[in-house]
Order: sequence, then C-alpha cells, then structure tokens
Amino acid sequence: MKKVRVGAGSSGWPDFKDGALDVAENGDIDYISFDHLAELTMAILQNQYAKDNTRGYIPEVIPLMRSLLPIWKKKDKHFKMCSNGGGANPPVCADKVLELAQELELGGIKIGVITGDTIPLSRVDDLRKEGWKFKNLDTGEEDIDSVRDRLLAAYAYIGADEIIEAYEQDADVVIGGRLSDNSLYIGNFMHPLGWKFTDEYWDRIGLGVCVGHLLECSSWSAGTCSNLWEEIDYPKGNPGFPIAEMYENGDCIVTKTDTSGGLVKDLTLKEHLVYEVHDPENYIMPDGICDLTQITLENIGPNQVRIGKVGDKSRGKPRPENLKFCLAYNDGYISEEITIICGPKVFKQADKAKEFVRRRLDYLGLKPKEWLWQRIGWDSLTGPTVGEPPADYDPPELGIRVAFKCDTKEEARACRTECGHLCWGSLGVGAGFTQPPAIRPVFALWPTLIPREAVPLELEIKEAK
Amino acid sequence: MAKKKMMIRDIAWYRSGDKGDISNIGLMAKSDKAYKVLQREVTPERIKAHFKDWVKGDVIIYPMDNLNSLEIMLYQALGGGATKTLRIDQTGKAMGAGLARMEIEADESEL
Repeated sequence: MKKVRVGAGSSGWPDFKDGALDVAENGDIDYISFDHLAELTMAILQNQYAKDNTRGYIPEVIPLMRSLLPIWKKKDKHFKMCSNGGGANPPVCADKVLELAQELELGGIKIGVITGDTIPLSRVDDLRKEGWKFKNLDTGEEDIDSVRDRLLAAYAYIGADEIIEAYEQDADVVIGGRLSDNSLYIGNFMHPLGWKFTDEYWDRIGLGVCVGHLLECSSWSAGTCSNLWEEIDYPKGNPGFPIAEMYENGDCIVTKTDTSGGLVKDLTLKEHLVYEVHDPENYIMPDGICDLTQITLENIGPNQVRIGKVGDKSRGKPRPENLKFCLAYNDGYISEEITIICGPKVFKQADKAKEFVRRRLDYLGLKPKEWLWQRIGWDSLTGPTVGEPPADYDPPELGIRVAFKCDTKEEARACRTECGHLCWGSLGVGAGFTQPPAIRPVFALWPTLIPREAVPLELEIKEAK
Repeated sequence: MAKKKMMIRDIAWYRSGDKGDISNIGLMAKSDKAYKVLQREVTPERIKAHFKDWVKGDVIIYPMDNLNSLEIMLYQALGGGATKTLRIDQTGKAMGAGLARMEIEADESEL
C-alpha cells in the first residue's frame, strides 16, 4: 500500500529551526510543511510590501532554506517542501530561494509559486457592488461599512489545489502566501496518495484535516506547551517536531524522531486536538470539514500514536463553498509600560499607583479610548478568576503594567510618557523598570467569508539555473 | 456521601487559544469518571460567573466523548481579540489555566 511520511517544519514566525532540520535529516520524510503565518502576520507583511515591493515575505525562509537545501541535496530521497512563507510576496521569496539554490549548485530545482490569495481592496468593493456581504463571523455585523475607510489589507485562506498542481508539474518546493496552515499538510497527503476532492475520499480528507491540525503547530503536539511539561525530557534542549505516516487507505501513525527531545503520546496529541477547533463536529478547513468527535488516539509504541476512527461514521465532509477571508483595518495605537515594585505592601503601593495614574490622566486631559492596569505576579494572565489577594499576602515584589489604546500615535505616546514612564520613578522608594516596547499600530481583523470563485489563483513554476 | 471540593485542574488537563475575540478552551478529563464530573459541573453559567467581566458574550460547551474532553468557546472574551486587546495574554493562552482554577464538587465515590 502507498504511504507517505510528512514532517512538520514550522508553526509560526519564528519556530525552532533545529526542529525542522532534525525532521529533514533524521525523519525519513517524503514531504515537509512550513507554516509561518499567525492570524495577523499577513497584515504586517502586506503593509511592508506596500512600502517596498522587495519585502513582504518571511525573511527567515532564506536562512532556513540555506540549512535545508544541503540536506535535501545529499538525501537519496529528495523530500518535497511546502511553505506559506511567501506571505504577501511569494514571487520575490521564491526568487531569493532560487538564488540560494544556484549558489549551492542545485541547478534544476523547481519552485512552484502560488499567488492570488491577496485581494486588492478595489476587488473587495466590486464584490460588494455585485451583492456580496462581508458579514463579520465574530460579531455578526452584516457588512464592512463601519471599517471600509480604515481597511489596510485583505487575504483569503486558500486550499491545497495549487500545491497539488505544483507537485504534478514536478515542483520540489512550493511557496505561497496565505495557504491555510492545514492545506500545507493536505497537499502533502493528497498528492502522493492520489486522493481527490470527491465523495470517495471525504473520510480520508477529514482524517487529513485532523492530522494537519495535529502537525501544524509543530512541537506543540510533541510535548511543548504541555500539561506534562515537567516530566518530559529534552536532553539537549531540542524539541521534537511531529511526523505523520499516512497510508493510502487512511490509516495513520503520528510519531517523531529518536534524535529529538519531547514526547508523542495520546495525551500530547489530544492536547492539540482540542486546541482552537471550536465546534468539533465541524472543524472547517478549505479542503474539507473534519468531524473530530469521530477520531481516536491509541498508543502503539514509544512516540507512536495511531489515529483511528470511532465507528463507521465518516470523519470528513465535503469542503466548504466559501473560503475564510480576513480584512485588516487600522484601529489606533497601543502603548504600554511595565515596572516592578519592591515590597513591603506591594498591593497597597500598586493600588495607590493606579489611582495616581487615573488622576493624572484627568489632570492632563488625556483620554485614551481604553486603558488597562494589570498586576504581574497576581492576576495579569487570568484576571477576575483570581480575586483579591488575602490581607496577609505580601510577596517581595510585584510587577505592574499599564497599557493605553488611543486613536493616534502621539496620544498613545503622551499617555505612556506622562502616566506610565514618569510615574514609575515616583512610586514609593524602589522600583525597577525596563525599556518599554515600541508603540504599536493596531491592525484589527474582520473575519468573514469570500466565494471560492472570487479568489483566482495562479501557479508559476520557476527553475534554478 | 462526602462531597469534596476541588479545582477543575485536579481532574482535568487543559489547553487554550483564540480566534478573534473568542477564547477557546479544551478541558481533557484525566479519567472516564472525571469526564462525567466535568460534564455535570462545568456549565456555561458557572464559567461566566468565574470569569466575571472578562467574558462578555455567550459560553458554549461541546462534548467530545471520544476524547473525554470538553471544547469550550467563550465569546467576547479576550478584550477585543489578539490584535486589539490591551491584555498581556493577547491570544488567551492562559485562559485555560484560569478556568482550571474554577471550583467544582464531586462525591468521593465519583473519583
């Protein structure tokens, strides 16, 4: 029976580079997938691209490829690589990788470049004129009227079709933009195993969506961010990245290399199966919908888990007609500052400092749209679930953080300088503060849907000389 | 039967994340029995009361019997969502730990 070994190479920007190199070197893989994009990353990259058309891709792709291509070259089995690190500028990213390939004397290597996921705002307007409404999936707001003037970027989460087509045309590397994290894996399962987007295959594609989800956050399925963190061994401080061994008939084992640290077992996979999936019966991805309530996990050996099925019910349903579509818009600026106050009576000191800041904002006429006061070391992460400290609890130190959201950068700076920075040196008789993070623009996201046919994608194959 | 007070984290593991302003928490029961206790004790009303003004919208709980787990969605729960929130935990990674601190009750015989 045909089988394919697909490794995880990256889950974000950045990720542990040695995890990817270990999978490539020791994972006996046929394919490897690299996700570099978080929800917001595309908006940042489109912003870069708008200012300079040689930027807008994930720069780490190049050093990563510099390390990977020599491994690719020496292996008898030339694994195929699939990446969404092209971001808002896949063609330039691909050109950089081609230059690198030529430098490493890898003439003949082929790169498939996928474009079209970035949608010009004029096209967004045209679609609205044609009657399409970009309903906000979070808030239910019917269309984008309230943010149209502030829109910065728009991009569709695209599926695996062009990845598969690129491999059909003998691409060794595929570089795209907002390829969904999941599709980077679906393409790597479907092409070698010959699965199609037809009724016969939805159960297997559903499983593929599940396994793609398991792999797309790399080490998070292999013991990082884990409830078992304290007992998992990392002999060299080297997290393992998961590898799926997928069979033509939809049997699947998830594993990792022996050379890496970490752990793959039912619980470390379960931790990720319940992560960010929302309605588990309908885990919707561009290439199919997975019913995660039909999945089983079974330990079959050290670092080996079989992904099975509960009963006869299909694990998959046909892919959705519409694609997820994100519109990014400008929503002001955030400034923040942290200080650490020394005891005794840290909570009393903190309360007094908060009141000091509140009065000072009033006195100076500063009106942030929103401001937040947090006590690091007490409730900054989990808020009201913690309650107030007991009267006799007085730790030696307590961090305090204040953050302001304003319409303009100038206001955000004024709030921070006048009511954060200047105040910190005035708190009690001892406080340590750090250089504050840069004032950041708020790129808010409007999650919505777009018809598949409104996103015309293009594939170009480029070859190294 | 002696009722025993405990925290969710005594009988379940957890991981949490985000999509926009939705906090998403997975609770994984440590045993079959613990899953039954979780299903009874962890309700949308109690979760909302536990998070107070941090969760402004609805709470929906999806059971996953195949994994002894609950998939929990908290709407309007992240101060506007990762890119807009003023909170230090922009993507709700610690919301699971916050929920895991919630107090529940079970008979000794249920554990």
